[in-house]
Formats: sequence, structure tokens, C-alpha cells
Amino acid sequence: MTAGPPRDLRLWLLVAAMLALLAALAGPTAAVSRPAYDLLLVVDITGSMNARDGTVNGRPASRLDAARAALRTLVARLPCGSRAGLGVFTERRSFLLFEPVETCANFAPIDGAIAALHWRMAWEGDSRIASGVDSALALAQELGASLVFLTDGHEAPPLPASGPPAFDAEAGAVSGILVGVGGTVPVPIPRFDDRGREIGFVRAEDVPHESRVGPPPADASGRPGWHPRNAPWGAVPEAGTEHLTEVRESHLRDLAQRTGLGYALLTGVDALEAAVRDTAAVRPIAAAVDLRPVPAAGALLALLALYGVVPLMERRRRSRRHAPRRSPTA
Amino acid sequence: MTLAVDTPAVLLLAPLALLPALVLPFAAADHPSLTEVPPDRVSLAVDAGLRLVAVVALASLVLALAGLHRLAGSVEREGRGAEIVLLLDRSASMDNSFAGRRPGGDEESKSAAARRLLLQFLERRPHDRIGVAAFSTAPMPVLPVTDHHEALRAAVHAIDRPGLAHTDVGRGLALAFSMAEGATPGSAPAVVLVSDGAAVIDRRVQDALRDAAARTPVHLYWLYLRTQGSRGIFGEPQQPGEDTPQAMPERHLHRFLGTLGIPYRAFEATGALAVETAIEAIATLETRPIRYREPVPRRDLAGPAYATAAAGVLLLLLAKLAERRPRRAARP
Repeated sequence: MTAGPPRDLRLWLLVAAMLALLAALAGPTAAVSRPAYDLLLVVDITGSMNARDGTVNGRPASRLDAARAALRTLVARLPCGSRAGLGVFTERRSFLLFEPVETCANFAPIDGAIAALHWRMAWEGDSRIASGVDSALALAQELGASLVFLTDGHEAPPLPASGPPAFDAEAGAVSGILVGVGGTVPVPIPRFDDRGREIGFVRAEDVPHESRVGPPPADASGRPGWHPRNAPWGAVPEAGTEHLTEVRESHLRDLAQRTGLGYALLTGVDALEAAVRDTAAVRPIAAAVDLRPVPAAGALLALLALYGVVPLMERRRRSRRHAPRRSPTA
Repeated sequence: MTLAVDTPAVLLLAPLALLPALVLPFAAADHPSLTEVPPDRVSLAVDAGLRLVAVVALASLVLALAGLHRLAGSVEREGRGAEIVLLLDRSASMDNSFAGRRPGGDEESKSAAARRLLLQFLERRPHDRIGVAAFSTAPMPVLPVTDHHEALRAAVHAIDRPGLAHTDVGRGLALAFSMAEGATPGSAPAVVLVSDGAAVIDRRVQDALRDAAARTPVHLYWLYLRTQGSRGIFGEPQQPGEDTPQAMPERHLHRFLGTLGIPYRAFEATGALAVETAIEAIATLETRPIRYREPVPRRDLAGPAYATAAAGVLLLLLAKLAERRPRRAARP
């Protein structure tokens, strides 16, 4: 018996293509669950964020510029269905600008709002980061979002010897990440006048270098001029480097550990995105995947076989049948 | 209308759609020569038609597999609405009730009342382009002028969170004016200031505001949420010497705003009902023909393309079934 007559093969290919196309027209879909994230983005806008040791596109920029650029790209990369809200931190509070909204449909206003973040929005010069993280955690918990808090970790004034204040929020109740912004080498902090013009840098005598709140540190009794009542911190003003700033990673790691948040240094958007995906709570959203291409590809193959392969096969067979047998040439 | 595909690489298969122009899906008959057959127009037409149908079917199948769709875009429409910059007071006093104390029981804080009524306002005006700015000790841009009302609702939802200390209304106004400057040219934007107090405006900021008002002719509304016991915008000085910006900041801010040379109206509200009336009045005043863009969603065209391919294959199948099997010479 020879292989089925060619007419039948062609008919079957057409029937197969027809059936596959009918299957495609039925519109098969598969339900898959995709991750989406609800984020509350809080940006530190205190003075030390103006220090110019960040990078944007390989160029030096202020930390605030670096944070803004990273967040704008991060929001653009979030999977559709994710939501992002925005807040700013200064003094001792995080201040909510808008609640989380869907990022794909509302990308333009979110992007515009992040681009408009500016140190001049700050209502006070203090930078009590531990308190700011605490209030940001409360906001995030109320909104049901994960926290992404971008800061350089520079506490101003410095923390008392007893360490940061206790957190109200329960550790681990809110997921999220602290993101350290800035370089690891101390740099000066630009200073501005009340009209926003830059007037040099913060000098050593402009800032306190040690907190005089609470009990003095244990080693204070060894300082020159120490007196338990009149000079419990010693008589000589503490020399310090609080007028210079670098990203205080150990402090941020400590805060992250106390609050159950993650910690990452802002090195690039890819790393930030990966860190956020690692730490933020995932809200699975159901999505339908179009399966029509599967039967449709089968139909295409059948038709191509019908119009390409079968005629070729036939021609070869016919030429074999009709061609005179050549004697092999020596 | 712009068409696009998701996976352009699939289009590399498109030339294969021309194959049916060369071949027919019928078995070749062993016939010595076609010249023996008399030319027949109907046969030629059927031949060409079947080739064309097959080309179309293959081409639409390739397009459908590539993910043919019409791009999402927007169409410009005309409606009635306005461009508005909302300038919201987020000072701590907004968290108190209209009676000036912590809201208790069924009392509503001023910020909660403002939030509820502004949300209603947004709902009634879906075509408005609105920007949001907040001010307290410092002015804060919240959202640029946008027609994404979901984001606007999220920004208005945020205003009943605990506020900050002071009320620097002057710099707040300067920010709102600069945001209105970026509005569509030709549309007269409105600035709606919602606050429960005023403050002395620095002379430099006053000059800046006069400049801004001359540059951008906005319509200015001040919705003043008056707390019980405060003298308010229209209060008259009781004693001589009391008529200073420090003692009566609201009255003096009102007078200053009146001198800016732009359309200005103040509403004094002492309760949620009065706020609602004022917002309605603003809504009626600020309704002009406005051009807005309505988004048109992406439309999947793969479905129609699959249907075309199926119809083509159905025709071919019918033709195939109508084929008469060529008589074969008995094999030797």
C-alpha cells in the first residue's frame, strides 16, 4: 500500500486548518495570577538630601535628584495593576501627598508629582528619621501598602546616647524597604537662603554634633572639664562631623531591623526594583492569557504544508518518476 | 486610527502568504497539455478567486498571530468644564471642627468636610482638568494639572490626615499661580483656595503675586472655612488700631486679593452646608466650553483577522470538497 493518495492529504490538511481556526475563534484563555504591588513611596526631602553625591544617568546629581529619578523609573516598571502613593518626610513626620493609585492608568500625574518633589516643600529643617519612618509605617499600615522609604539616614539633630526612640508600629506589621541614598564618603551639605539661592555649605559650627537630650553617654566622665551637675557632657564643645554627610548605612540597617523592613543601598534602578520586589507584599491579580495563537499556529502550519510542502513533495516525486535515469558519470 | 502588532517578528512569515498565488490545493491531473482545454472565463475567475481567498486567509492568519490591534489613543472632544488648581490648607487647625475643637461624636472636622465635598465636586465634573497643591508651613505641589480623576481623588482623600503647623497662604498662592500658568493656553484657569485661616503675606511675596496675577489672568476663589468665634473675612474692626494684617489676617488677605486685578470671589462658610453651597456656586461659575481628550482604549483586531482566515479556509474547503478526482491511468 502506498501512502494515502495526495488528494486526501490535502483535504485533511484543509480540514485540520479549519478545525484549528474554529478552536481559535472560540477564544480560549487561561487564567494566570500576576504579581502587583501596593507601594507607599516616601522621600526624605531634608537638607542633607541636597548633598551632591548621587548619580543620574552617570552624571553627578543631588541625592534628591537620584531618588526622584530612581522612583520615576521604578513606577514606570511596576506591573500594571500595581498602585503607588507618594509622601514626603522631613522634621519628624511623613506627610501623605496622595493615596496609592493604579500606576499604569495614572502614570502621568504620578510621574509629574514625583518630578515636582523639592527640598523647598520641607516645613522644617530637622531630620528625625526614626520618627519619620515610624509615622510612614503608620500611614502605610492604614493604607494597606508596603513602604518604600528613601533616605540618607542622616539624623539631625543627632540621636541621643540612648539611641532612637521606640517604635509605635509593631515590627513586621508592614512590609517594605528602607533605601539608602547617597555616597559612602562624607561630603558637605549645600545651604540655601530663604529665597532658595545657594549660599555655600553648612559649616561645622552651624549644627549640633551631639545630642544633649537624655542621660549623657557612659564615657562622658572622662571628658575634660566634666562635672556631674554643671557639665555632665564635659566642658569642651564636642567636635564632630555632623556638617558632613554620607549615607548612614549602619543606622538604616538598625532601623530596618527594628521595624522588620528590608534595607538596600540605592545603586541603580535594577537593584532597587529587585529589592522592592523582594520585600514588598505581593497582591496577586488574576489575568487572562490569550491562548488563541496556539491553535492558530497549528492552522498556519497546516496551510503552509498544504501550499508549500505538499506541492514540493509532489514535484519531487513526479520528477523522479518522469526524469530519465542518468548513468553515473565517471 | 493607528494599527500595530505586538510581535513584529511574526510578520517575517508574511511573504509565505503569497504561496497560494503559485499553487492550488488540488491534485494535479495527468493531462498532456492545457492548450487542449478551451479557455473558459468562469474557470479562470474561479482559479484566480481561490488563489486570492487563500492569500487573504494566510495573510490575515499571520497578522492575527502577530497580534494585530488598533493602538490606544485619545480623541479630542468638546464639553463643558474648566481648568482648576485646588489649593488646600493642610494646617493642623483644619483637623478641628467648625466649632474650633477636636471633632467628637458625629462632628466632622473641617478637613473631612472639605474632603467629602471636594470628592462630590470631582464626581460631578468629570471633564475638568485639575491640579492640586497643598500649603501649610511650606507650599507643596501635590499633583500637576491632570484629567486623571482617579489620581485626583487619591490626592483629595489624603487631605484629612493630620496637618502641619502654620498657614503660609502667600507662598501657597504663588505656587498655585505658577501651576495655573502651565494650563492650556487660552483657557482661563481658576484657582480655588480652601483654607480656614490666613496669615500676613510677606511684602516680597505680595509683589510676586501681583506679577503672577498680571501674567496669568486666573479666576480666584477663596473658600474660607470659618471657625466659630473667628472674625472672618467680612468682620469689621471693633476697636480703632485693630485693623492690621496681624490682628485681622483674613480681612486683609481678602482686601489684598481684591486688589490683584483678577476676577476674585470669596465665600465664607461656617458649616458643611455652607461649604456645599459655595462649591456649587464655584461649579456654576466655572463652566465654560472646554476641549478635553477622551482616551480610546486599545482594540484587539486579532479576532476579526481569525474570522477572516476561517472564512477563507471554509471557502477553500468547500472548493476542495467539490473537486472531482482526476481519473488516473492504471499504474503500469
